[in-house]
Amino acid sequence: MAIELRYRDGTIHLADGEDDRSSDLESLPGVEPDPRSGGYRAPAYRYADLRDAIEKGGLPYEERVFDARGGDSLDLATDYRLREYQTDALDAWEDAGRRGVIELPTGSGKTVIAIAAIAAVGRPTLVVVPTIDLLNQWERELEREFSVPIGRFGGGEQRREPITVSTYDSAYLRADDVGDAFEFVVFDEVHHLGGEGYRDIARLLPAPYRLGLTATFERPDGAHEVIADLVGDRVYRLDIDDLAGDHLAAYDIKRIEVELTPEERQEYETAQETFVDYLKSTNLQLRSGSDYQKLVLRSGNDPRAREALLAKQRARNVMMNADAKVDALERVLDRHRGDRIIVFTAHTELVYRLSRRFLLPAITSETGATERRQILERFRDGDYSRVVTANVLDEGVDVPDANVAVVLSGSGSEREFTQRLGRILRPKDDGGRALLYEVVSDETAEERVASRRR
Amino acid sequence: MLRKELLRVSRAGGGYHPQFVGREERPLAARAIGTYQGHVGERRERLDAAIEELERESDDFKLVRGFASLLDREAVFETRAPIPPERARRVAFERAEAVGVATEQERSRARSDAAERLGVDPDDIEQSLYADREPNQYLASFESPWSPDELLDRYNLSLAQTALFDATEVRIESSDPRRLVSAVKRLGLLYELRNTEVGRTLFVTGPDALFGRTRRYGTAFARLLASVASAEEWSLRATIDDRGTERELKLETGDVVPPTGEPIAEPTYDSGVEADFAARFEALDRPWQLRREPEPLSVNTSVMIPDFAFDYEHADFRVFFEVMGFWTPSYVEKKLDQLANVEDVQLLVAVDETLGLDPESSTERRTETGEAAAEVKARDHRVVTYSGSVRVKDVVDVLREYESGFIEREAERVPEEVVPDADVISLVEVAAEFGVSVAAVEEKAFPEHRVVGRTLVRPAVLSEIDENLEPGQSLADVESILESRGLSDASAVLSTLGYRIEWEGLGGGRLRRRKK
Repeated sequence: MAIELRYRDGTIHLADGEDDRSSDLESLPGVEPDPRSGGYRAPAYRYADLRDAIEKGGLPYEERVFDARGGDSLDLATDYRLREYQTDALDAWEDAGRRGVIELPTGSGKTVIAIAAIAAVGRPTLVVVPTIDLLNQWERELEREFSVPIGRFGGGEQRREPITVSTYDSAYLRADDVGDAFEFVVFDEVHHLGGEGYRDIARLLPAPYRLGLTATFERPDGAHEVIADLVGDRVYRLDIDDLAGDHLAAYDIKRIEVELTPEERQEYETAQETFVDYLKSTNLQLRSGSDYQKLVLRSGNDPRAREALLAKQRARNVMMNADAKVDALERVLDRHRGDRIIVFTAHTELVYRLSRRFLLPAITSETGATERRQILERFRDGDYSRVVTANVLDEGVDVPDANVAVVLSGSGSEREFTQRLGRILRPKDDGGRALLYEVVSDETAEERVASRRR
Repeated sequence: MLRKELLRVSRAGGGYHPQFVGREERPLAARAIGTYQGHVGERRERLDAAIEELERESDDFKLVRGFASLLDREAVFETRAPIPPERARRVAFERAEAVGVATEQERSRARSDAAERLGVDPDDIEQSLYADREPNQYLASFESPWSPDELLDRYNLSLAQTALFDATEVRIESSDPRRLVSAVKRLGLLYELRNTEVGRTLFVTGPDALFGRTRRYGTAFARLLASVASAEEWSLRATIDDRGTERELKLETGDVVPPTGEPIAEPTYDSGVEADFAARFEALDRPWQLRREPEPLSVNTSVMIPDFAFDYEHADFRVFFEVMGFWTPSYVEKKLDQLANVEDVQLLVAVDETLGLDPESSTERRTETGEAAAEVKARDHRVVTYSGSVRVKDVVDVLREYESGFIEREAERVPEEVVPDADVISLVEVAAEFGVSVAAVEEKAFPEHRVVGRTLVRPAVLSEIDENLEPGQSLADVESILESRGLSDASAVLSTLGYRIEWEGLGGGRLRRRKK
């Protein structure tokens, strides 16, 4: 009897029938005997290796991994004409056995490469994306390109089709349930897969073909090595400098330093003092994120630590929401009448304050799916020329032709900064240079964050 | 379940102890409920501020937030605005785009334009703009489904569930294994039955856990807890991956109360046949204790939970009892498969006489006889057949065979001649001295005693009693003479000595000599 391979709840189950081939089976990559259910099991992501090893070893086997729902090959074609570097990237991925990560700057057309890959593979495909905005964008793009119904997991919908787009969150929840339906998986913004929970998505899917897309592959925590293990090595890379001026618009950065009002200054100092006093009285030093974590832990049962944390939060709020920043934005908006402007801030409350003050369309995590789609469409079509947002547009969302970005209260994270930059690095019709404003409060901790970034 | 940041655990001694709350937190629970009740008709911002105030007053802000998050699910919020906010926004943003708002004056012009367009007052635009944001919504109604005490129970359960979010494996003992196993399966988890020092334990993990510890199944474990806690007796230990450090969480009966309130005390029966049998067996006085939900037995990689077990009262011996009462071929096949592979225990199976095997679907191995009872016997188990209901007598007969085996073996531990020191001693006491059942001593010789009823008595004691007895004595006098020598069974003694009692009315009687 042949060895039977089946997909079961995020794993590959191997049944040996009546034969005893335990030594053969146990030598296969990733395979372990399972005393709970009988038979053997391997992690789903090892499926391609496993099948290769079985074939090499000449063992009789019966493949039932995708049988249940996979179906026939898809007849897909794309009208996109790839640019040279896009073709190179795709070739490198094909050469690596249709596995691996492509690293390209934001705005260089990663979606186009993925669409070409999906058409070339022609098998049921799951595209995993980090945000609702990207979910909408991919769904629209794939529908337009392939003229087939596109499935969707996320944003309140759970509809499966041979080609389906999913958020990372939905994919995490559903991976062990739908793994047998997809032979190809595309991870957009694949660096997200480094997060401990999200890794499971790639672990639990048996798809032999895998493609990761990102503008920033390497992570400071070394998690990109995990990604290489789950999706494949980086097979192609292009720097932003290789593209700027050629395919991307050039950009300049302007920095505006604003001062706190005397009242704000006072409130800030008072809160900051409470926080520092606590640190002094307890001999606690904050050198790293884990020190801060310690303080958070302590606040669970120490009311003074909690008070200190709340004070720190107040200080940060004062700094983030400084009235002068609103005034600075007024000046930018006044100066750039007729331009297309995106305003960023990490603070949801500040987004709404600015939205109210300037009557700017706002997108945050609170914004419902319909309204967010509508605002983006109106921005794209030119009905709106300005939009204010809290981070959700950070990655890859297609917002064409914005030429001014204003970043208020930047968080100092390298990744966010490049990707926000990337937002306006779209080729402009008239070739005009894009402009990025950075608005920071003067003489506060925030300034140090901004200077660290240089 | 609570959000993870509201988890309150102590890591004292390297453990992982959820900080359950008791009646001392009742006033706080009552105030939390009161805060919600008191803010009906107000904006959420006000409610949140009041809860924050409560946090400040309490020693533990996470506890207050935990209460609030449970209560929040019962609250109904609504948007109150002169015009639908989304519409107000769209029109306001369109007008702002036309005006190109930067200054305050420009804003005010755009707002007036929008108001005019919608035929409302500019203030209505202001009020409606973000009236649908959470902090601006109104608490429309709130009905607490819990009293303060019930909120504490609910909180404790949610807290324990939250503690399980980071579990990588749970190990459970339960007085209701049937419910447990079916809940494990329903949640897509896998189990393994292992014998541990605390008994038969179900080790529960998820499919992917075979390849390394994972917290992926934490929420499934949390859901499982509700079923676990429904058993009358249970204990659960979980391995927690606490940011890389492994800790053990222990929970047991009483720590948490199942969500429905009362634990389910009575085990449920699969079929009327079983319930009926239990009632009739318990009415008999046999040296066996009937257990209704015995521990699970391992069958290769799965378990079988027999309907009953009989525990022999005089020895550590258990006979499992399974009633095969369904007729579908797949059920019969599954049962026979289980019976062939079940671990080595004494198992008695009641087989419905009408139970046949389907020759079409059964493999050769299974259909040598084509008859269920024979197939069960072929798998080395004892069988009784029944139709309609299981005859208690048939089962008792089988148990008797076990008993006689025991009695023989016990009798070997007792000498052929038994000479107790006491002048008067019951057979039960003699058996207890040897640690055997009464039946094992009954057949022995007692050279220095006479067997009077169920008691051994030295002949000297009997003569002494005889001398004190006079025909015509009242029953009460006779009984006190006997009791002074430790004899309670008056009729057996009197009959041995040739007396009887002549009954008078209801209470008394007189001693008479028995006619020869």
